[in-house]
Order: sequence, then structure tokens, then C-alpha cells
Amino acid sequence: MLGALVIAGVFAVGALFPHLLSDYAMQIGFRTMLYIVLGEAWNLLAGYCGLVSLGSASFVGIGAYVLVGLLNTTPMPIGLAVVVGGGGGAVLAALVSPAVFRMRGLYFTVGTLALGEAMRLMMVNAPWFGGATGLFLHVDWPSSYALYLYGLVLLLVTEFVLSVAAHSRLSILMRAVRDDEDAAAQVGVRTFRVKLFTFMVASFLMSAAGALQAYKLSAIEPYGMFGLQWSVDVLAMVIIGGMGLRYGPIFGAILVIALGELLADYPELHIAITGIILIVLVRFAPKGLVGLAGQARAWFAGRSSGAGLA
Amino acid sequence: MLGLEIIASSVTSGFLLGGTLALTALGLSIVLGVMRLINLAHGIFLIAGAYAGFFLQQVTGLDPFVTVVVVAAVVGAAALPVQRYLLEPLAKYGAEAPMMTTFGLAIVLENLFLLKFSADTRSIETSEAAVPLQLGPISVPLIYLICFAVSVCVILLVHLIVVRTSFGRDLRASAVDPGAAAVVGVDVRRVHTLTFALGGACAGVGGTLIGILFSFTPASGANYLLTDFTIVVLGGMGNILGTLIGGIVLGVLQSVAGIVLGDGYRDLIGLVVFLAMLAVRPRGLFKGHAA
Amino acid sequence: MSTGKPPADNLIIETRGLTKRYGGVTAIDNVDLAIPRGEVFGIIGPNGAGKSTLVGLIGGALPPSSGSVFYEGADITLLLAAERARRGIGRTYQIPRPFLDMTVAENLQVPLYSVNPLISRRHAEEMVEANLLRTGLAGAAKQTARNLTLLRRKRLELARALMLKPRVLLLDEVGAGLVESEVSELIELIHSISGDETSIVIVEHVIRIVRECCRRVAVIHVGAKFAEGRTDDVLADKEVATIYLGTAHGEGKAEVRHGTVQTESSVAKAASSEVLLRLEGITAGYGQARVLNGIDLEVRAGEAVAILGTNGAGKTTLANAISGTVALTGGAIRFMGNDVTTLPSHMRMKCGIAHCMEGRRIFSTLSVEENLLIAARGVDAAERRRRLDRMYGLFPALHERRDNPGTALSGGQQQMLAIGRSLMSDPKLIVFDEISLGLAPIVMDLLYKTLTELRSAGLTMLIIEQDVERAIDIADRACVLEHGRIALSGAASLIRSDTRLRQLYLG
Repeated sequence: MLGALVIAGVFAVGALFPHLLSDYAMQIGFRTMLYIVLGEAWNLLAGYCGLVSLGSASFVGIGAYVLVGLLNTTPMPIGLAVVVGGGGGAVLAALVSPAVFRMRGLYFTVGTLALGEAMRLMMVNAPWFGGATGLFLHVDWPSSYALYLYGLVLLLVTEFVLSVAAHSRLSILMRAVRDDEDAAAQVGVRTFRVKLFTFMVASFLMSAAGALQAYKLSAIEPYGMFGLQWSVDVLAMVIIGGMGLRYGPIFGAILVIALGELLADYPELHIAITGIILIVLVRFAPKGLVGLAGQARAWFAGRSSGAGLA
Repeated sequence: MLGLEIIASSVTSGFLLGGTLALTALGLSIVLGVMRLINLAHGIFLIAGAYAGFFLQQVTGLDPFVTVVVVAAVVGAAALPVQRYLLEPLAKYGAEAPMMTTFGLAIVLENLFLLKFSADTRSIETSEAAVPLQLGPISVPLIYLICFAVSVCVILLVHLIVVRTSFGRDLRASAVDPGAAAVVGVDVRRVHTLTFALGGACAGVGGTLIGILFSFTPASGANYLLTDFTIVVLGGMGNILGTLIGGIVLGVLQSVAGIVLGDGYRDLIGLVVFLAMLAVRPRGLFKGHAA
Repeated sequence: MSTGKPPADNLIIETRGLTKRYGGVTAIDNVDLAIPRGEVFGIIGPNGAGKSTLVGLIGGALPPSSGSVFYEGADITLLLAAERARRGIGRTYQIPRPFLDMTVAENLQVPLYSVNPLISRRHAEEMVEANLLRTGLAGAAKQTARNLTLLRRKRLELARALMLKPRVLLLDEVGAGLVESEVSELIELIHSISGDETSIVIVEHVIRIVRECCRRVAVIHVGAKFAEGRTDDVLADKEVATIYLGTAHGEGKAEVRHGTVQTESSVAKAASSEVLLRLEGITAGYGQARVLNGIDLEVRAGEAVAILGTNGAGKTTLANAISGTVALTGGAIRFMGNDVTTLPSHMRMKCGIAHCMEGRRIFSTLSVEENLLIAARGVDAAERRRRLDRMYGLFPALHERRDNPGTALSGGQQQMLAIGRSLMSDPKLIVFDEISLGLAPIVMDLLYKTLTELRSAGLTMLIIEQDVERAIDIADRACVLEHGRIALSGAASLIRSDTRLRQLYLG
């Protein structure tokens, strides 16, 4: 709980002292926050409930399209539109859950991958969503600062939700479902409801992030909003940071963004290097960077206690 | 209203193309069935096969259908160290770790191909290219039939290997209980390595066929990956003959969707079928499995 | 054969025409059961008869193909497992399935929080402690389920099921894998839990549990109800005896004992033959748990050594260490003079070590014949054929079914296949790990008869067994493991009468 507050606090500082940060820094901060939200939501689903999804793109995209649709047609305030965008994701989750939860393990992962792609193709073919060219947002371009603030609020909400999820009684039920779904059912756990609830919460957060992203871009199209790279980036950052660990997604997000910035001029190299980092980490640090840090800490503690015995 | 000839030709094309795509899915199916590994690098293996076929044809001028054997050997051999050094050490970490590694490999290779070969669209030329074959009212390009024949031959060959040879026995035993297999003398590590190489070889040949039939870029792999997953699920994970049937079914469905709904829906129908299968019958259309 | 049906309004569980089909196989065929409230009711029958399927049907894990299930008079046929659990049907599994990565307390919290998420912390703790006490796990609240021994895992499953205050408990072969002293503890536990408010349905193989706990018993044979009535009546019935109890508790025993007379002379012979297997101070374990704590053992050519011990003593780990399935953390293994300590599993078979694993481990993707052939490696086709024919001679039932998938056989036939498979490599030493587990006595008679023949032919064997009498009957020597060490060892005939052995097992 404390760590989450610290992280949120760091970003909050940026909000309180806007003149300290350049416009560019604000944008990076915004992107990082969004990525953290996505990573946390994915971790909730996969790390705590055992549902490894390759379909994050579906929800990012839905949130984006809902927000643009709302803002273009109604005078709804941005904040509310983001919430409704999130709601769109939760609704999508509820709709696909009967089908998607019938798939276990491996099949679930592959099924969510297909879901993301199916959504993208549907949007490409549906004329009233702008088809392949997409939609334009007809409201004023937001300032970097405003975006940053919205991002911060979403981040705070996400951290709160994750902290509750990790320590609540619900987490006991989620872990039981993750460990042995049939045995959980046999002791009275309504496994479908537990999975559905987790899925809807995670999807809500992902869609809200997608909505904010749409607000920033002001123009969306299917390839960008439902593209595979969302699912893949989220997966990569959580694995790099450490899946199932409380702070994994946070560090993973920061690293992935930082890497992107460093290699901004060499996009192929950037992706290739992300791939290599992924391979190396999975091999030598399967618990991600956070796991590695934990091991290093334990090792140092062991060393210092033995140092005086020579 | 479309003429009957056009519909018949279209469905036949779908049949032949689907059967060809089945070969591209075979490697994925075997690896999934025996090693329980989702090989996200499968798509890039296909593209590697396509590039190999392309360059072999440019350099030697030989018919790509002949050099396909070399492609199989090359990609299969390239897959060996991937399994041995990248994936094998991860065996004890659960299912996500190897999957993530193959994913990392896929994006590394895709971008290396982009850097080396650029994003230019290429395709492999053959002498039989556009010649249509006329069978009564049905007209399909001859090349479709040839590729279909190649695909079926390879699939049958793999099926025979798995069902008749002692290696096939070892493979099927390792798929279902690697611990017991080791105790009765099966070198499970070797079986996995050879299986992965076999999957790579099939992908190589499939990739060459794709290169002949369609054009490709380094990024094409991802699309085929999804189509292949659909075929694997239709046919049953690890079911070799099932993969062939699954491919044909998908091909025909896509043709029908193209005719009835319009061209843009061809790919979509594939995904819808995929999701429906996963939800309703994830074990595939057929009972039991060969591996 | 049925002796009187209890009055209908006093039934806790009732099934009418319950049927379950899997494709062409009818696992449960039109079963009518009427289980009265407040009783302990037993369900017995040969392996493969469908008993576990019945538990799955009543507990809700399996939907029936036809027929219905009633609970306290209400039709629950269409209710899911979770709903049935919440209404008061508890169930344990044949192989316990606690949530391995959670602590004992957390395991108990799962059912509690799923029905009562807002329960106060103190109340929750009280309930958890109470059920831990009741099932003999007091003080174990903070242990991880993964680190518990088999009997304690069974206790945990029971405690977990009790959290929902079930009015009926379905215990699926809860006695499996336990030794005499543990069975006594289990019987005590069952007695303490059963009562007017908690009915118990026990599906069992261990006859002692059935005899001492159940008032009434039903016999299931080939999926259908064969007999039902008061326990003593059913167990004494001749027809029931032939289909299920076999002759082990009568003539069969004398047969096996006859074999013992011969071993006296072969013990003397074996003492002078070469040492085939030598274990020197081996230690091994899984993850954190150290299971073997320094074992020294010598097995000479032609010997039959029985390895006995309570559960958790390390018998299977010992077998796994010999075949290489589990790596040693210390010590050495020598086979025929060669150090095989670091040799991987698949190479030990080449040296001549065969391991007939616990749970049979037949390959479902291979036919019966392929299951046999896969173990005949590095020999030419003629030799392979010869060995195959020899196996079919030993086990004719396998020849009939040689093209069937390996697992489409009854439990006893699968065990025959497993034994045959381990013989196909023409080994010098075979380790038999719990071959009698889950098999009816009549089948065990047959298998041990085969083992005796193999023994007479000079095969060296290590027999890991739960059934002490059978193991000692066939063995020259016996070693008793306790906490990963050999606590007792010597000639089988001497061990049989050793009071320390009795103490270890019967407490």
C-alpha cells in the first residue's frame, strides 16, 4: 500500500508544480501513467486471477471509440466521458465473458488474441464508425497539463483498486480460482462471478485508459486503437517488470517508456531491443526486474550478515 | 446475382487455398500438441521460409517447388538452436515464459528482417503463375492446385511419421506424459528439439507456398499466425490430419463469406469461427487426437 | 438383492435412474440410491465400476446423461457444484486438491468468504480454528498446503468442506494411500464428524473403513447397483465376494503364503550373489521439503526387497530417486558397479533399471501394443517381437486389446500393462511402486501371482507396498522407511513378527 502511495505521490508532485516540468516531460508522464494503468489492470487479470490475456487491444479500442462518439455528439464533460468509456469496456467484458470463460488456460490466451483482432476488423468494416479512416474528435485539443491531471486521477483510482484487490477477501477467492477452479467451485465459490467481476474491473480500467488516449490523439482509427501493439506492449511491460508482483507493472511501464524515448529515432531497433530484453529477462530473471531487485536485496542481506564471521 | 460458375470456382479456390494454409498451421499444431507451447514466433518462421524461397529462387533460378526441400532443411535447422538454447532452459518456469520468449524472438526477427530486407512487398515467381486450370465450369489458377498438392503430401508425410515410426511413438508419449516417457527410456529433450525443428521445417515450406501464392512483407507473419490458430483449433491441437480438414473448412467458409458478405469480411469470418470454436468446442471438430 | 428401503421422508440424498454416458461407455447405469439422514453410508465396488463418477454426479461436478438427484427432498439435478456446496453438500477428492499455494487458514477462508464475505474477522478466525481442531490440524494454520503430508492434506480437505456446515459429506476414496495407523486415525475422524446433522457417504476400497464406519452399504458393479443393505450382510454375501472381494481374505492368502516357503532357501542363495544396486547415503526432496534423509541400501541379484512405511516416509521418492525422476541432493547410487547418480532417467533404463510407476502412467495417445513397444529400445525387430509375445503370454488380456488406446482398459488391466511395459526393456532390476493402489483384492491376487512367477524366474525386484501382508509374503527382505530413513530392516519372515513394525503401523 505504501509503495503505491509513493508512486502516485511522485506523479502528483508533477501536478502540483506544473512549471517545474516542460511540456514534453508532461507528455511523457502522461504516457507513463497510462501504461502503468494498463499494466496494473492486466496484472490484476493475469497475476491475481490467472487469466493471461492477449486481448488488451479490444478494451483500449472500445474506450477510445466510446469517448469520441460521446464527445462528438453530446456536451458531456471529459471526465464523465472517460468513465462511460470505461463502462463500455466493462460492458464488452460482460458480453464476451460467457464465451471467453469457457476457455481455460492456453485457449483463453489465444481466444483473447482473436477477440482483439476481430474487434479491429469489425471496426474497419463498419462504416458508421468511420471504417478504416476512423473518426475525428470535434472538441478542443486538451493542454498537456489537463491531460496529465486526468491521467493522474486514473492512476490514483487504479492504484486504489489494485491495493484493495491484493489485500481484500476477494483476493482469497481470486487466488482460489486461479489455483484450482474446480476445487473452488466444489467448496461453494461462484467461480464465474469472481472471474467476471475481475474481468470487468480490469476492462473498465483499460478502456478508461483507451478513452484518455483518444482524447489526447484527437483522431482515432482501428489499426491504432485496436492494434496488436497494445496487447503486446502491455504484456511485455508486465513481464519485464514482474508478473503477479505488486510493483511489476509500474517498473515495467517506466522502463518500456524510457526505452522508447531513448530509441525514438530508430523504431525498428527499439522494438528489436525490447524483444531482446524480453528474452533475456524471461531467461535469467523470470520474476522480472522487481523480482530481480528482491533477489538482490535478499542476497545483500545474506552477505552482510555473514561478512563478520570470517 | 453471381453466376454458378463463379461461385463454384470461388469455393474450389477456397478449398485449395485452405488446404495449402493447413500446412502453414501444421507446425504450430504439432508444437502446441507435443510441447504445450504457444509459438508466437511461428508467423515469423513462415516469413523466414518465404524469404528463403525467394532468395533461393533469385540466386539459383531453380523452380521454387524444387528448392522447397532446401527451405525446409534451412528453417528446420535454424529452429533447432532456438529450442535448445532459448526455450529448453525455460521448461521449468511454466507456460508463459517460453511463450513470451517466442514473442520476443518474433519481434526481434521481424525488425531484423525490416532492417535487412526493407518493408518492400515481395513474392516468389514461378512459371505456372497465372495459368488457369479449367475443370468443366470451374476455373482455378493451376498454381493453387500445385500448392495444394505439395501441402497434402507434406501433411501426409508428417502424419505417417507420427503414427508409424518409433520417433512418432516417442513424440506421442512425450506429449501426454513426459515424466513417464523418460522413465521408459525416451529422451524427451531430444524429442522436443526435433519436434520444434519439424514445426519449423513445416513452417518453412508453408512460407514458401505463401510466397508463391501471395505477396509478403516482414509484417505479414502476424496475420497468418491468427489464421493458423483458427485452423489449429478447428482441427484439434496436435491432430495432424485434423489440421488439413480444418484448413479446408476455413478456406471454404472464407470463400462463402467473401461471396455473400463482401470481400472485407473474409478475414472477419475466420476470427468469428475461431472464437466460436474456442467457446463451444475447443478440442476441435474431431474426437481424439493423433498426438 | 436389497434389504428394505428406508422411509422416503428421511432421505438426505436420493438418486433416481441416474445415468452417465461418455460416448459409447456407460459409466453409471440407472442407479437408484436412497441414503437416509444421519447415517454413514458406504459405496463399494471393483475399480472402474464408476464409484468416483457417482460422487461427481451427486456433488455436481458432472452433469448426468439422464436421471435425477434429490437432496433433502428437492431436485438438484440441474444445480451447479458451487450451488450444491452452498446448500450443504460437501465433497473431498480421491487425490486431495487443497489450494497448494495458500496456507491452511486461507484454504479454509475460501468457502467462508464466498458465502459470507462480510463476516467479522474474529468470527472468521473462530470458525477456522474450530474446524482445524475438529480435523486434527490445530496449530497448522500458517503452514502452506503444499508442505503437508498426504494424511494432513486429507484432513485439510475435510476441514475445508466442513466450513460450509454441510449436511452431507461425500468422501471419495479417502482411505487411499494410508497405512494402518493412519486408517485408524481416519476412522476416528469420521466417527467424530458423523451424526444426526452430518450424514456421510463414503466411497471406499479399504474394507476396514467400510466395516467400521458404515451402517449400510451399496455395491456398484459395471456402473449398476449390484447389491445394497446392511454392511455385515453385504460383506458376507457370496456373490458380492466373487465380484469384488476376491479370495484374498480367504484362500488366496494361503496360495501366496505357499510361495513364502520357497523364499527361505532363495534367501540363502541370494546372500552370495553380486550386489546389483547400492544406495549410499542418498538424500533427496522436492523444493523445500527434504524427503529422503540418508538411505543406505544394497540389493543383490535375484532378491525381492519390500519397501514399507507410512505415508510421507519417502517410499515413492526412493523409487523416483532410483529411476532418476527426482534428482539427489546428496549421496550416490551405484548400479552393477557403475555410478549412475547423475545419469538422466532415460539412460538408466539402458543400464537395466525399470520403474513401474505409481499410478500406472499409461500413455493414452498410444495403443496397448505401442505402450509395450516404446519400452523395447535399442533392439532389433525380431527381439522386439519375441519380448512382445512373451508379454502377451504373461498377460493374455492385453493381447486381445492390443490395438485399443492404452487407457481404455480397466484399472487392473492397466496395471498389467504397466508391469508388462517395465518388463519390455528386459531389465535387471524392477521397482514396483504401489501396484495395488486402487485395485480390488481379486485383481491384486492375480498381479501378485504374476510377481511371484517373475521372482521365481530370478528377476530382482524392489516392491513398494502399502499392503504389508502381501509385500512380506513375496519378499526375501523388508525395509521399513520412517521420515526418510530406514528404521527397520531384515529378513521378511523376521520383520513380520517384529513388534516394532506393528507399532509403526498400528500405533
